[in-house]
Amino acid sequence: MDLTPEVKREPKRVNVEVDGKPVQADSRDNLIEAARRVGVTIPYFCYHPRLSIAGQCRICLVETSDAPGRLVPGCQVRVKEGLKITTTTPAVKDNQRGSMEFHLINHPVDCAICDQSGECKLQDYYMDYDHQPTRIRTSKLNKPKREVLGPMVVYDAERCIMCTRCVRFMDEIAQQPQLAVVNRGDHSLIATFPGQPLDSQYSGNTVDICPVGALLNRDFRFQSRVWFVNKSPSVCTGCANGCNVYVESRGNQAYRVLPRRNEEVNQVWMCDEGRLTYHPTNDSRIEWARTGRGDSQAAVGPKLATDRAVELLRPLALGPGIGVVVSAQCTVEEAAGAFLLGQQLKAQFFLGGKPFGQGDDFLIREDKNPNTNGVRMVAEAFGEKLHSLADLSQSNLKALVAFRTEGLDSMPLFLERLELFIAIAQNETAASAQAHVALPCNSVYEQAGTLVNYYGRLQRVFPSLPEARGDAQPGWSWSARILAGLGSTTAPRSAAAVFTQLVQRSQTLSGILLEQIPDDGLTLPGLQPAEWPARAPRPGSHSGPAAVVQTTPLGIKTAAVASGGA
Amino acid sequence: MSEQAELVPDPLSVEAEIPSSLMTINLGPSHPAMHGTVRLTVTLDGETIVEAIPEIGYLHRGFSKSSENATWHQVLPYTDRLNYVSPLLNNIGYIMGVEKLIGIKDTERSQYIRVLAGEISRITDHLTCVGAIGLELGAFTVFLYAIEARELLWDRISELCGARVTTSWTRVGGVANDLPQGWAEKLKDCLPRVLELTNEIDVLLTRNRIFVDRTRNIGVISGEEALDWGFTGPCLRACGVNYDVRKAHPYLVYDRMNFEVPLGSKGDTYDRYILRLEEIRQSHQIVLQCLEQMPPGPIIIDDWRYALPPKKDVFGSIEGVMAHFKLIMEGIQVPAGEVYVYSEGANGELGFHLVSNGKGKPYAIQVRGPGFPILSALPRLIKGHAIADLIPIFDSINMIGGEVEQ
Repeated sequence: MDLTPEVKREPKRVNVEVDGKPVQADSRDNLIEAARRVGVTIPYFCYHPRLSIAGQCRICLVETSDAPGRLVPGCQVRVKEGLKITTTTPAVKDNQRGSMEFHLINHPVDCAICDQSGECKLQDYYMDYDHQPTRIRTSKLNKPKREVLGPMVVYDAERCIMCTRCVRFMDEIAQQPQLAVVNRGDHSLIATFPGQPLDSQYSGNTVDICPVGALLNRDFRFQSRVWFVNKSPSVCTGCANGCNVYVESRGNQAYRVLPRRNEEVNQVWMCDEGRLTYHPTNDSRIEWARTGRGDSQAAVGPKLATDRAVELLRPLALGPGIGVVVSAQCTVEEAAGAFLLGQQLKAQFFLGGKPFGQGDDFLIREDKNPNTNGVRMVAEAFGEKLHSLADLSQSNLKALVAFRTEGLDSMPLFLERLELFIAIAQNETAASAQAHVALPCNSVYEQAGTLVNYYGRLQRVFPSLPEARGDAQPGWSWSARILAGLGSTTAPRSAAAVFTQLVQRSQTLSGILLEQIPDDGLTLPGLQPAEWPARAPRPGSHSGPAAVVQTTPLGIKTAAVASGGA
Repeated sequence: MSEQAELVPDPLSVEAEIPSSLMTINLGPSHPAMHGTVRLTVTLDGETIVEAIPEIGYLHRGFSKSSENATWHQVLPYTDRLNYVSPLLNNIGYIMGVEKLIGIKDTERSQYIRVLAGEISRITDHLTCVGAIGLELGAFTVFLYAIEARELLWDRISELCGARVTTSWTRVGGVANDLPQGWAEKLKDCLPRVLELTNEIDVLLTRNRIFVDRTRNIGVISGEEALDWGFTGPCLRACGVNYDVRKAHPYLVYDRMNFEVPLGSKGDTYDRYILRLEEIRQSHQIVLQCLEQMPPGPIIIDDWRYALPPKKDVFGSIEGVMAHFKLIMEGIQVPAGEVYVYSEGANGELGFHLVSNGKGKPYAIQVRGPGFPILSALPRLIKGHAIADLIPIFDSINMIGGEVEQ
C-alpha cells in the first residue's frame, strides 16, 4: 500500500522559515519535521513519522505564509520553497490550549494508577501548552476500563484520545488489520473484531506508539513505575534478526524490553516474542556455582567449582571423546572462549541453540538464536568444524563442556550417560540438572559483548542490569578460569580482550576495533544471506523521514536518559 | 649598665626575663565555646595570642553538589541547614532567586508574610548570639532570658511552619501556608514578653562593669578594613558603615517598612553586641508593621506551572493531578539563565548564585554565606589579645557552621 507517493520522487532541499529561523528542509518533510530540524517543537498526538497521516488530534495546527490567519495541520501540510511557518501566534497557542482541554474532558483521574505516568504525552503537553484548571462541571463519560484485546495488550477506553495510531499501525506496518474504531463521537473506542483477538506478533508496538495510557503491555502492567527503571541499550536475543532494544531494569531484575531505533535492522519496531526475552534473565536462574548431580549437588562457589571442573577435565583432556557444545545463544566473546578452551582440550565442537521456529517476511526470523552467524564466524576463525547437535547424540563422547545448554534439554539420557558434563548455563533446565559441574552464566543482557545477526551485522551489547546475580559470569570468563586452572597463562581477562584476540585470528573481523563499532552496528563482509525477506529493512535504504530525532516509543526521552554500557 | 652587671640578674626583673617559648593549643572542634564545630589552632605566647587559624569543614554537607541532584523545590530543605538559627531567611533568599530566574513575583500577602517571618527569624538569631556571649562570659541568666524569648518565637514559627528549625516554608510564588487561625494575636501576645526579656538582658549587660571591661576595645576593626575583608550585616554596621540590604536595595515590602539601621562607632565586641540588641527592637517594629499592613489575599500565585494545584483539584481533576505529577516528579521547569540574588540575612548579605540549564533541577548553586568572610577575619581580630578574649570575640561574630561550611 503506497500512501505517500511523494516519497518516490527524488528528495530536494527546500528553504523554509520556522518562527523566523531559516531551515533547509527535505521536500518530503511536513511542517512538524521541518520545525524539528531547528529545534522548534510542534506538538502532536496522532502523527507518527512511519504511519499515514490522520489529522485526528488537531493539536499540531500552525500558521503558514500560504494561508495567513488560518490554521493548518502541521502533520499533513508539506513544506515548499519559501514557506514561512509560525508556531507562536495567539491563534496557534490558543488552539494548543483548547485541544488539550478537549482531550482532557473525559480523561479519567488515573495518573496515580496508570502505567504510562511519566512517559505520557498528555502529561507533557498539559504542562507545556495548557496548565489551566478544568472548566468542566459535568461528570466524565464512563467507558470500558480493562478490555483485554489480545495476549499482550489491554485497552482502557476512558484514557484513549482516539489518535488511531494503533489502528494505522496494524493496517500499515503489521499488515494485519485487527483493530478498528467503533461507535461515534465521544462514545467511540478502539475494538477488535468479534472472535478475532489482537494476536498479531507485532501487537506490542501499539502499546509503544500509544501516546497515552490507553493501550498497556500486559506483561509490564503494574510491575514498575517507569521512572524507577534504568534504560540501557542492547540487542534482542529472541531471534537472529537482532532488533536493537533498550532493556529496562532495576537491581538485578529486568522489567521490559523496548525497541531502539535502527533504520537498517528494525526501524522502530520489534515483535512480541522479543519483548518477553528478559524473562530468562529474571526467572529460574542458576545462581551459584555448584558441583554434583542429584542429591550430591552442592553450591560451592566459583573457585571450588572451577577447581573441581579442572580436576575432572585434566585426565580426559587431549584424549578422544571430549566435546564442546557452543550454543548460538552465546555472544561472540563467549563462543571465542569456548573455542579457546576446546582447542586446549583437543575437543570436537557442536553447534547448540534453540530449535528453529516460525518466521515471517518482516522482523521475525526462523532461527531463534541471536548469534548463529557469530558462532560460525568464530569457528571459522579457529579453523574448527562445527558439528550439528544431531551428530552429538550419535557420538560416543565421554565428556562434554556446554557453553549454554539450549538444545540439550531434549537429550537427558545422553547427558546422564556422560562421564563428565560441565554446563556453563544460565537457567535451571533438564540439561543443567545433569551437570557434574554447573557454572552460572550471565544472560546476554547482563554482559558486554557482540552479536552477529542473520544479515551479518555485528552489534554490541552492554551490561544492562546494574546488580550482579549470584556467581553468574559471562561464558568467556568461565572458560578463562578453567584455562588458567589447566595451566594457561594467556587466558583473557575481559570481553574486550577476547574480542581483540579474535580480531587477530578472524578474516571477517580483521581491522575492526571494538570502540569503532557504531551504535547501529557494522555489516560484516561475506555473511549476508542469499535472499532477503520481502519487507525486512535493508542497509542504506532508509524509508523513514531523513532527520527524525524521535526515538521509540514516543514520549520517552530515550537518547538523553539511556545509560549503562560504554 | 656595664658588662659585669649584665651577668648578674636584677632580682626585680627575674620574672620578666624567664624565656618563654610559643605554645600551640587546639580549641575545638568540640569545645563548648566553639559554636558549631570549628577548630582553632591557637599559638600562644604566654597568654597572648600570636596566631589563630580557624579550621572549618566539620559541618560540610556538600550543599552545592547535593542541590544539583534535587529539584528546585527539593533544595529548599538544604537551605534550612545553612544558617540554622534563622532558617526562614535562607528559605526566603533562595526562593527569591528561583523567582528571579523564572521572572515571576509572589503575591502581595506572601511578601508581607515573608518579611514578617524573616524578621522573627532575625530576632531569634540575634537572641541566640547575645545569649551566647552572656553565657560564655559567665552570665548564665542572660542566656536563660535569651533562650526563653527565642523559645517563645520558635513556638510561633513551629505553629506557622510545622517545625522550629527545619522550616522549608517558602514556595516558588509564595509560601507553603497562610498564618494559622488566631496566630497573629498569639504573636502579638508574646512579642511584649520578648521585648521585656531583651530589655532585661540590656539592663544586665550593657552597663555591667565586668561585661564592658571584657568587650570594650576588644576585637576592634575599622569600617574600611571590615569592608576589605568583605564584612556585611551587624559586624559591618558595628564599625559604623551604613549598609543594610533591606535599605540599600529594598526587596519584598521592606520599602514600605519604617525602621532604622543602627550603627556602631568603634567596631569592637561591645558594639557588635549592642547593635544586635538594637536590631531586635527594630525587627520587632517591622513585625508589628507587617501585621498591621498585611492585606488579605492569596498566599501563592495561581499558576500551575510553578505552584502546586490545590489538593481538591489534584484529587478531583485530571488537570490537577497532571500538574501535581509533573511538578513533583520532574520539578518546576526554570528557564535557562543565571542570577545572583542577595538579601539581608541575620549575619549579613546572604547571596545565592543560581544557574539553570532549563531543566527541573539546578545546574549549579553557590551561596555567599555572610559568615565566611567574617570568620576569615577572625585571626586578624584576635591577634594580640589574651586567650580569654578569644571567646567574646568569636561569640560576637556569630559564626554559624551551616552557612560557613555549607
